[in-house]
Amino acid sequence: MSPLHLSFYSSFTLSALGLAFHRTHLISALLCLESMMLSMYIALSMWPIENQAASSITMPVLMLTFSACEASAGLALLVATTRTHGSDHLHNLNLLQC
Amino acid sequence: MAYFVSFLGVCFVLGALAVASNPSPYYGVVGLVLGSAVGCGWLLSLGVSFVSLVLFMIYLGGMLVVFVYSVSLAADPFPEAWGDWRVVVYGAGFVLVLAMGVIVGGFVEGWKFGVVTVDGGGVFFVRLDFSGVAVLYSYGVGMFLVAGWGLLLALFVVLEVVRGLSRGAIRAV
Repeated sequence: MSPLHLSFYSSFTLSALGLAFHRTHLISALLCLESMMLSMYIALSMWPIENQAASSITMPVLMLTFSACEASAGLALLVATTRTHGSDHLHNLNLLQC
Repeated sequence: MAYFVSFLGVCFVLGALAVASNPSPYYGVVGLVLGSAVGCGWLLSLGVSFVSLVLFMIYLGGMLVVFVYSVSLAADPFPEAWGDWRVVVYGAGFVLVLAMGVIVGGFVEGWKFGVVTVDGGGVFFVRLDFSGVAVLYSYGVGMFLVAGWGLLLALFVVLEVVRGLSRGAIRAV
């Protein structure tokens, strides 16, 4: 595997692991999600560069658009959690007790 | 020059590591800013300046600025930076996972350097990324309109989730 491909594969995996493990703050999980989106942007723009397919350059731009929508929804949830519980600590989100 | 691009690739992974290793969110955003600045330089080194500047302006200048404002909601009395032992243990664990993955996956053989790019095709000297994004407005106008409508919808989603007092989604008070 070429080292640049290894670079964004491993940063995606690290961010996914960071999202999966226990965090103190909800916004730390949202930051890991943003880091996954960043590595996916780099990966999606690497493909049309290597294959010289110009019309596929629209893919990273569209992905960034939808990731902006997702980030805004995540931040709205963060604001709603802080207004309800006073902080964004994940142990406050305990309604689902299973 | 190839070594410089590889150094940018290593810095990209270090930025992701800085976010994933559970520091206080004030310091996690630093890792994300580093990762996006280095990713922008990486795309520039490959020749596609348009998508690099889109990353810089939209991601770093739009989304991350909003994230930095929202980080003020996550106030810790004693914020943990990367010198704190809890963050160091997380970071060391992630480096171990990365090393195990590289060794087991057999990635240390077969180092192929270079991602080729050209600025022209035959007798036409058209930049790859500029001509590609122009497709979004001509043949890809359906997707463009769907993306714009999705952004408008996201605005109303945010307004409804944040509203409280008997019509909200999360609020209890």
